[in-house]
Amino acid sequence: MLQIQNLHASVEDKTILNGVNLTINPGEVHAIMGPNGSGKSTLASILAGRDGYDITEGSATYLGEDLLEMDPEVRAAKGLFLAFQYPVEIPGVSNTYFLRAAVNAVRKQRGESDMDAMEFMKFIREKIKILDLDPSLLNRSVNEGFSGGEKKRNEIFQMAALEPKMCILDETDSGLDIDALKVVSDGVNALRSPERGFLVITHYQRLLNYIVPDFVHVLVDGRIVRSGDKTLAYELEEKGYGWIEESLAGAK
Amino acid sequence: MLITEKPHSLVSNFEAVRELLGLTGPESLRAVREAALAKFAEAGIPTTRDEEFKYLPLNRFRETEYVPAYGATLSEDDLKALPLSVLDGPCLTIVNGEFAPELSNVSGLPNGVRVMALSEALEQHEGLVMRHLGKIATHEGKLGTTNDERFTHLNTAYMAEGVYVFVAKGVMVEPTIHLRFITQADHGAIAVHPRVVIELEEGAAAKIVESYHGLGGESFTNVVHEIALGANANLEYVKSQTEGGSTIHIANQYVDQKSGSVFTSNQVAFGAAISRTDLNVFVDGEHTETSLNGAYLGQGEQIIDNHTRIDHAKPNCHSFEVYKGILDDRSVGVFNGKIFVYEDAQKTDAKQTNQALLLSANATINTKPQLEIFADDVKCTHGATVGQIREDALFYLRSRGIPEMDARGLLVYAFAAEVLEKISIDVVREALEAELYRRLNRD
Ligand SMILES: Nc1ncnc2c1ncn2[C@@H]1O[C@H](COP(=O)(O)OP(=O)(O)OP(=O)(O)O)[C@@H](O)[C@H]1O
Ligand SMILES: [Mg+2]
Repeated sequence: MLQIQNLHASVEDKTILNGVNLTINPGEVHAIMGPNGSGKSTLASILAGRDGYDITEGSATYLGEDLLEMDPEVRAAKGLFLAFQYPVEIPGVSNTYFLRAAVNAVRKQRGESDMDAMEFMKFIREKIKILDLDPSLLNRSVNEGFSGGEKKRNEIFQMAALEPKMCILDETDSGLDIDALKVVSDGVNALRSPERGFLVITHYQRLLNYIVPDFVHVLVDGRIVRSGDKTLAYELEEKGYGWIEESLAGAK
Repeated sequence: MLITEKPHSLVSNFEAVRELLGLTGPESLRAVREAALAKFAEAGIPTTRDEEFKYLPLNRFRETEYVPAYGATLSEDDLKALPLSVLDGPCLTIVNGEFAPELSNVSGLPNGVRVMALSEALEQHEGLVMRHLGKIATHEGKLGTTNDERFTHLNTAYMAEGVYVFVAKGVMVEPTIHLRFITQADHGAIAVHPRVVIELEEGAAAKIVESYHGLGGESFTNVVHEIALGANANLEYVKSQTEGGSTIHIANQYVDQKSGSVFTSNQVAFGAAISRTDLNVFVDGEHTETSLNGAYLGQGEQIIDNHTRIDHAKPNCHSFEVYKGILDDRSVGVFNGKIFVYEDAQKTDAKQTNQALLLSANATINTKPQLEIFADDVKCTHGATVGQIREDALFYLRSRGIPEMDARGLLVYAFAAEVLEKISIDVVREALEAELYRRLNRD
């Protein structure tokens, strides 16, 4: 469903992505690991449609269409979802209002009718239970004053409400305590289906015990330098990225 | 510029109503009115050369012939459009400066609470009213550059009707008290000068919501407030100004806070051609809290001018102030925030913020924080920003499927709604949020 080919991207002449190749088929879970600053969030942001990057080479195709040509809201409507590494606080907009606007916008693009306030509240109450989120967070402004863990859970809650096809999770596990990690993973696993693809960015093998990936990729300096199955994550945990960087140097 | 010898109608009209005004209140008020009129006549209509009116062009004022206002016959149906008519508790209505008993119902208030027309209060409780009338609305004896008080004088000259609210010691008023000020100018341009006196005695608590609304025609509302908060009293005050498009609205509000009192002001200015509010808080006791919140919206050629002044005269007090405005088209916003910290007022903690969001290249904001601090152990901060729509928030909303135009609209709304959120009375907050939303969408 998602094909990324030889993707190069830079910001103000600084190259961040250096030829990324990645194909995700429906039903697959891919994990990306890699050192700080290697370009993981940049890749996720470009896929979601954030402005400000120059795509100097390569392409990304989503459901057979040129992804990079689409506005972010169009990508969302077509089922692409990014759980942000740093969710944004929006004072003055209530979480409920925001979610309803989002759900209805996505439904509209799919040719479905708006949910009225009653229907929506019922729908939301079911979803919020799955994520074990405090319902009072619904009345507060989007992410404002939420704890780090609450923000991350709110991202997965939105994902559950929007029911996307391609889910990108950027370090959703960072800042979660052990119980929350379990809750969030359960939330993600509940969405796993043969039609859905996942791209899970993480620094920790531990998350992958809960959300078991089909493939693990290592991103270094804006390129995927190694891919494997879930055992690659164990190897990284044990040996660190130095091991890969050394073996890369050796290969040259 | 045309210079006329003839006094402005705001002055010359006095002749016609002098005797009528004299019938209200104690005899001593006659001299007070005459003196105030003389002060206004001497000062005249301000020009932009007057420091306190630098950004407020009142040309239109100068050219208008005002006639004395008299009441209009309205029914509850005419007031349906008021954003705050959702409030169904005690309500007192002033139409064109006159008390409208048929649109007022203040039954069901607990003992010790009086909500009545000022003229009536002057008859029945002269002593109580005169404790504060004319005593709070003045900067005499206060620090720093004297504010320009000419419109307070003008109000005093015509002072007779308005509202009196009194809450006796220790009484907590549960229902929200709603005061409505309606203008309908169907007999020429009218000028109204309501005076509002509010007293909360020691330990009393109340929520008072005022709405100012225009039902058409050209009018000038010149209101003055005198608010006395006794020790440990708590007042949540909301002022919603949604006057008509040819109204000039000028408000001079004076608050006196005794020790331990809490004053929360939520000022909403969406209407009028020219809207000017001077909110002056004199902190005359320790351990008080003062929160001044303001949200305003300028569209078309509207001018919205907010002046605030907090006198920290006693130690250990907190004040927190945030004003946020959205300015579109050719509208003009003005914010002037004065904070005086007296020599005595150690451990004052004062925070002032004002932010404007400019939606058009032709909209402008003039901002001036003015902090004068004479104590050495204080924490005073101020910040002013001219905001743009936050790109990260815009992307976040769009990434959830919300189209760019809607996302922008939502963020503009949220900018001011953040201030409305501070209103604790749910129906009032929701009604004002809906009003803001409606106006932004120009329905
Ligand atoms: N807008 C930008 N302007 C300048 N540099 C940027 C910008 N965005 C990203 N970078 C740089 O690109 C590099 C990759 O950043 P990115 O956030 O993608 O890393 P990451 O792999 O997600 O790191 P982490 O594991 O710390 O989250 C970093 O060096 C970062 O400073
Ligand atoms: Mg990152």
